[in-house]
Amino acid sequence: MAILQIRQAIRDAMKEEMLRDERVFLMGEEVGHYNGAYKASEGLLEQFGARRVIDTPIVETGFAGVGIGAAMCGLRPIIEFMTFNFSAVAFDQILNNAAKIRHMTHGQFGVPIVFRGPNAAAHMLGSTHSQAFEPFYAHIPGLKVVAVATPYDAKGLLKSAIRDDNPVVFLEAELMYSVKGEVPDEEYTIPIGKADIKREGKHVTLITWGQAVPISLKTAELAAKEGIEVEVIDLRTLRPLDTDAILASVMKTNRAVVLFHGWPYGGVGCEVIARIQELAFDHLDAPVLRECYEDVPFPYAENLEHLCLPTPEKGLAAVKKVLYKR
Amino acid sequence: MATVVQLPRLSDTMEEGVIAKWRIKVGDKVKRGQVIAEIETDKATMEFESFDSGVVLKLIATEGETLPLGAPIAVLGQAGESPDGASAGAGASVGASEPAAATPAAEASKPAAAAEASKPAAAVAEAAASSPEGQVAKDMSKKPAGDGARVPASPLARRLAREHDLELGEISGSGPHGRVVKADVDQAIAAAGKPPATAAAAGTSAAAAPVAAGTRSGGATAAAAVKSVGAATAEVDADGRPYVSRPARTIKLSQMRKTIVKRMGQSKREAPHIYLTTAIRMDRALAVRAEINAAVDGTKVSVNDLIVLACAKALRKHPKVNANYTEAGIVEHGDIHVGVAVALDDGLVVPVVRFAEQKSITAISRETRDLGLRPRPRSCARRRWRGAPSRSATSGCSAWRASWR
Repeated sequence: MAILQIRQAIRDAMKEEMLRDERVFLMGEEVGHYNGAYKASEGLLEQFGARRVIDTPIVETGFAGVGIGAAMCGLRPIIEFMTFNFSAVAFDQILNNAAKIRHMTHGQFGVPIVFRGPNAAAHMLGSTHSQAFEPFYAHIPGLKVVAVATPYDAKGLLKSAIRDDNPVVFLEAELMYSVKGEVPDEEYTIPIGKADIKREGKHVTLITWGQAVPISLKTAELAAKEGIEVEVIDLRTLRPLDTDAILASVMKTNRAVVLFHGWPYGGVGCEVIARIQELAFDHLDAPVLRECYEDVPFPYAENLEHLCLPTPEKGLAAVKKVLYKR
Repeated sequence: MATVVQLPRLSDTMEEGVIAKWRIKVGDKVKRGQVIAEIETDKATMEFESFDSGVVLKLIATEGETLPLGAPIAVLGQAGESPDGASAGAGASVGASEPAAATPAAEASKPAAAAEASKPAAAVAEAAASSPEGQVAKDMSKKPAGDGARVPASPLARRLAREHDLELGEISGSGPHGRVVKADVDQAIAAAGKPPATAAAAGTSAAAAPVAAGTRSGGATAAAAVKSVGAATAEVDADGRPYVSRPARTIKLSQMRKTIVKRMGQSKREAPHIYLTTAIRMDRALAVRAEINAAVDGTKVSVNDLIVLACAKALRKHPKVNANYTEAGIVEHGDIHVGVAVALDDGLVVPVVRFAEQKSITAISRETRDLGLRPRPRSCARRRWRGAPSRSATSGCSAWRASWR
């Protein structure tokens, strides 16, 4: 089994799918000659040529729209946003075209497209380049939203996303591209809509995704030192949500914390909590808590940035709180 | 020098109290006169204003704890000062009643080893119980105001209690604000001699097959249904159909209700009761009332206010009525304080109009309205409740009120 970085796993997924299906192509800023802003498309231009690895001008709304049109015409585009912050410029295309065409045309047209790129805060990028977009996209019926935290998940889920007949928003993280992990040599895919238990435990359920997964695992390590067994559930897919996996765990532990990169107000964390309270109310021994960004525009200053971010220590405090421990 | 704050007497009849809510936390600066806690007395939940200034070094009493008068509830002092000396000093008077609470901070380091040893093995269910608060709460073996009102409990605790036929109100809560949590119910189940295994089993079986969203364990539902329907008895009616027996329900008494029970019983026992009825023409009184209300802006004199004033004036004229019996002799009270019974949703309070015969009808009206309407949220400034009503004044009043009704 190979040890790959997430960027390599993503590259391999795209490469394999482009080899498998000639309708698949990659489009975005710097994806070709520069090999991708984060080197996630390294070597693809060389291998597949400029017709299938397309460098675009800096016009997100344009190339997102071109991709949607191409998908409606039968191709299977992968649109890379240099970061999801820039997807805001293409929001209308994603919201009103990608997500709605199948519905609006009564199924005459589908939009098998993947929008991928890094999401949420990285390091000192300021408030406008540290956005967490999962609440926006997961909010929209017609889209699927995936967030990955390991090379294995990245490759298996990206392949599924490319093969999916509907638009998929695929969220990566800038600071995680070099995270290494085992990836099978043989062909595999991971179904969209399935969460993964990253660590088993019986005392508290810690629900997380994307960049917050390693933080949650560290939280679990800290908790283990105090005799608390934390079950870490990586949602992997934010829409559709794997409600069964969440409920099974919460019914076992009777308490949950949602830990994520993003803001508290009205996000995926809220959706998770809403489902827990609705479907597992009688199993809860404590209110479900969130640990995430502070509810402020993300700060630029490093010290303030650190205060704003979720940390294993903050995670541990929340875990202890739902256990009524001090 | 650290000062121990003791549970104050907030009403004349108060014998014990419950810290309903702390308004301070350790490290806060407290000024003399600042409200530091809400205390549930036999009469109402009242704000407790600090007699001292200083930094809060320790909160000894936990919310929901029932304590005798004078029990140490907190320690004030200077920042950085150790609260232990002060606690020990006060311990002489009340220490016996709460050995666990007296110096938890000081001993934390020593029993920590023991607690630590038991920790890893302890199931999560006991996590809360093994925390210092949990311990204290349990040792006090109390429960705040049951009074049939909603007991704070986690949904899981609520379900477990239901499944085990336990009254939530009888389980002391170790969670925040006295919330009953799973650990507390487990302990109650253990105490009741029932194995908690069934609860765990119900939990895991549901967890094993959670696919159908919100599916409940069938057993629990069935049990609940049986309970609400009741059970057929051996006794039958003329047609041989069995009567259905349903279980009795015990509603826990609040401090207020306990007091009502005590005082009503005491009153019936100790004072011979006579009931007088008379008819009074109220035409002129009502006309005066209308006139006052029309003339003075913002005034709304009630018929009850007129009766309070009339009682007060009558008592001045007939001091023999403003009296009660004691072993030493009949005490004729010099002051006239009229109690007005005010019904609450879950009890009764009797705010007192002090020196009523010296007050104008508008002043009485204002006061009874303030006293009468305000206690509804069960909170009132302390001063208003001092000086319980002269009992004869109250009973004098009730005679007249009977006639009015």
